[in-house]
Amino acid sequence: MAGGVLIIAEHLDGRVAPSTLELIAAAGRLPIDRHTVQLAVLGHRVQEIARHLSGYAVDVLLADDPALAEYTGGAYVQAVRSLIESARPRIVLIAHTAQGYDLGPALAGAMDLPLVTNCLALTLDGDRLVALRRILNEKVQMEVEIRSSRPIVVTMRPGATPPSGTGRGMMSVTEVPVSIDPTAPRATFVRTERPEVTDIDLSSADVIVSAGRGIQKKENLALVEAFAKAIGGVVGASRPLTDMEWLPKTRQVGQSGKTVRPKLYVACGISGAMQHLAGMKDAGLIIAINTDPTAPIFEVAHYGFTANVLELLPAVVKELKGG
Amino acid sequence: MALNLVVCLKQIPNPDLQFQIAPDGKDIKRDSLNYKLNGADEYALEEAVRIKEKNGGRVVALTLGPKRVEPMLREALAKGADEAVRVSLDDPAAFDVGRNARILAATIKTLPYDLVLTGVQSDDYGNSATGGLVAGLLGLPHASVVTRVAVRSGGLEVACELEGGLERVYSLPLPALLTIQFGANTPRYAPLPAIMKAARQPIKEVDPEALGLTGWDSVPLPYSFDVVGLAPPSAKGHAEMVTGPVADQAKRLAQLLREKGFVRR
Repeated sequence: MAGGVLIIAEHLDGRVAPSTLELIAAAGRLPIDRHTVQLAVLGHRVQEIARHLSGYAVDVLLADDPALAEYTGGAYVQAVRSLIESARPRIVLIAHTAQGYDLGPALAGAMDLPLVTNCLALTLDGDRLVALRRILNEKVQMEVEIRSSRPIVVTMRPGATPPSGTGRGMMSVTEVPVSIDPTAPRATFVRTERPEVTDIDLSSADVIVSAGRGIQKKENLALVEAFAKAIGGVVGASRPLTDMEWLPKTRQVGQSGKTVRPKLYVACGISGAMQHLAGMKDAGLIIAINTDPTAPIFEVAHYGFTANVLELLPAVVKELKGG
Repeated sequence: MALNLVVCLKQIPNPDLQFQIAPDGKDIKRDSLNYKLNGADEYALEEAVRIKEKNGGRVVALTLGPKRVEPMLREALAKGADEAVRVSLDDPAAFDVGRNARILAATIKTLPYDLVLTGVQSDDYGNSATGGLVAGLLGLPHASVVTRVAVRSGGLEVACELEGGLERVYSLPLPALLTIQFGANTPRYAPLPAIMKAARQPIKEVDPEALGLTGWDSVPLPYSFDVVGLAPPSAKGHAEMVTGPVADQAKRLAQLLREKGFVRR
């Protein structure tokens, strides 16, 4: 089995993370024998997840251990290490999620392996792995090349690859023993905390008007609220605004906040960092207002307005009322 | 419980700028950039200083980079770090996070440390890898995307942010490494007397010989790393752009909202 791809699945509360299906698709695009792609499910009492994932045309390795019942970096690194040592893959694929970038770099450090993270696409040519990445606020793209005789740990940006579909045949599930040293110093799981919902629920709104750093001052939120009211929408925000507590955390759209799919999304003064785009790119109609015509938000928007948002919003509210 | 804290800082080009590709296509043009302390690292520094203030101890601000990183280290001293260390890696781009992390880990080994902090990611390259790599290389327990840290007897309790606003709470023994999330605290401003004092404090330099290396190119790596090339992003799609005077744009936006049925009148 040496020379293939080992995908590390991610799941929470019995559900597979969407990024795992993207990793299966990304592995399928590499010029390798599809029988050398294996997907590892780590956890405790997760046979159902393993069986489900074997329906995506990949062989599943199931590592079941009470120490893996909740994600901890230390136990996962130990378990994946023993999987790598037996499967000897060329590439280890992990999603670039909060859990994935906790795991991938620590694994690469602990095993002294090459690492490339937050990739959009991969090409494999002989012993040469070329990864496409975006840097500097998405304004520059970069290809890097890694050559190594050792397995290369790769994290893939969620949303970069269309996910794999089911129905391509059930493959096998193989239980594999993993060795986890309970005495090794490591983080231990205490509990999961879920946010209390006391505010409006953005994810059920049809129209969302989101504010970003371009609104400059907290007082200018009133302009955004007035516009949202005029079109029957609710106000969301990019991460910097909720970090500054201009709006409650519940209003944050993006990877670390809410993922939304409204009929209309208006981005006001939002440049479009990857973490924000991940939360809103699937909205039905996206209108972006930003003075920087090169802002990445315009790549996902359907319509882009380059006026100063602080001038455009009052003007359009007036238009809507007078019209 | 007094703690030896090491906080890894990175100086980055202000990411709000426009960037041009250098003629050889292997880096951005760097001659007229202005540099700043990476956003998440501001929170890591503040967290380190707060832990010291509450529990006692010492904060070492550690970075790698050319001379231009010194003002950032002085800023860290003015904000409460006790010592500043610059690893004299003279590569202006330093794209290979694996090499950077191996140099940092080797340097940290020469310092007393109970807790190592980094920012969750750098806003220039967005690898989110330095902290995890250093933890793995040093064999330290670690936690990422940390929003709260409490020092308990002999260890830490930390909250880690996941997608969708969920958090996982972990306890960790010391020594350990944490990557700190944006917004984990409110970074302080440096008071003027501290800025004046920091301007006179020495900055310790670490050269390759101090780490037993003949040069920065001789860091042992299990791979070769090359930049194939940089380019402007290939646009996947692009918005239909509306430019011109504000009044015209307002009319167009109102018309658009009516056409699409979001406004009845």
